[in-house]
Amino acid sequence: MSVVSGGPQTLAEFFKKTLDPVIALSAIAVLDIFLFLVVGAWTVGGGETMMTGLAAELILGEEAVARIPFWSLVFQPDAGYWKIYISLGMLFGAAVGAIASKEFYLRLPRRLSEWVLITLGGLLMGFGIRLAFVCNVSTFFGLTPEMNLGGYLSISGIIAGAWVGSMIYKKILEG
Amino acid sequence: MDSVVGECLVAFIFGSVVGLLVQRSRFCNTAALRDAILFKTFRNTKALLVAMMILTIGFTGFLTVGEGNPMHFDVGLNQVVGLFLFGVGMVLAGACTVSTWVKTGEGNVGALWALLFTFIGMFLFSLLWTVNFWPPAASSMTGEPNLEALQLGYSNAATLQEKYGIPAIVFGILQTLVLAAIYKAIRRKEEAQHARHEATMQAKEGSTPSAGPQSVAAD
Repeated sequence: MSVVSGGPQTLAEFFKKTLDPVIALSAIAVLDIFLFLVVGAWTVGGGETMMTGLAAELILGEEAVARIPFWSLVFQPDAGYWKIYISLGMLFGAAVGAIASKEFYLRLPRRLSEWVLITLGGLLMGFGIRLAFVCNVSTFFGLTPEMNLGGYLSISGIIAGAWVGSMIYKKILEG
Repeated sequence: MDSVVGECLVAFIFGSVVGLLVQRSRFCNTAALRDAILFKTFRNTKALLVAMMILTIGFTGFLTVGEGNPMHFDVGLNQVVGLFLFGVGMVLAGACTVSTWVKTGEGNVGALWALLFTFIGMFLFSLLWTVNFWPPAASSMTGEPNLEALQLGYSNAATLQEKYGIPAIVFGILQTLVLAAIYKAIRRKEEAQHARHEATMQAKEGSTPSAGPQSVAAD
């Protein structure tokens, strides 16, 4: 199977070699345009929020979650929300790719400091997504290409944040 | 698309292809920013820019003829602050929203942990929102600036077309040219890095002409 001109020539090669990210992202961009026409541009944060609401209902009960205004005024938990399935699809697609290329294996952070950084990073990402209404995917693959003012605001925020995060990371690397 | 099942199916198929392509290409949005800032390497940054160019032309082209489903909500200071926190978080966690899912699919427990705490962060925000109700819920958005709530309203290529009578694609082409200029500047930087590296290597080779034979003799 010829995947992309200039890229891997067979399916076996596709799962053996690393694909050029420019080719991969160009293909994703074309698919994203199709998605934009059918339902809306690629986003991840919205689906994750809905999954959070559904998980909270499962753990705390529907009544308890309904008493939190956010879950009735901003996001009403709904398993039929299409954005959830983008994330689940990514998980599935990545697992297929990893298994087919024999790259699937359990990896665990080795040091306690890594666990702490990942925990803090995850919390900041989740809090930031909900505060902004958008994630990095909606910023770069939705809002900005639509020339939405929110895209430019988000890009300025994420670049500044990535710079601060990189400086913290550098300090940690330097010990 | 009217059918909920149809929407979810399209989304799942899209996500699956994206997951596969990201896994095989090792693309990472975090690396696109972090590596450019820290290590001056641009493998992922270039891919991101190319995708944004294609998307800008595609989205604004369809918005010109009134097609597509653009995101519709008021924006304001919360986007800057929220994405700032997100940017710090993704570098610390070593993964963004895409790579947490993709790396989890590869068996990375750290990515799964990051995902779990992203959900917890979202839930904590939902509790905090009860205190100040900021940013405003979509139902109270008007599309107009609301400075009291630090909101600037809603605008995109379609609203620019409506306001100025200039097709949205024209704005899209301008944005694409800006992105292309950034891409070109990165390529120039890479070429300069490569030339410096080559010069250093040649200088090293030139300064140690007798090292080879001595090593052989030592063997």
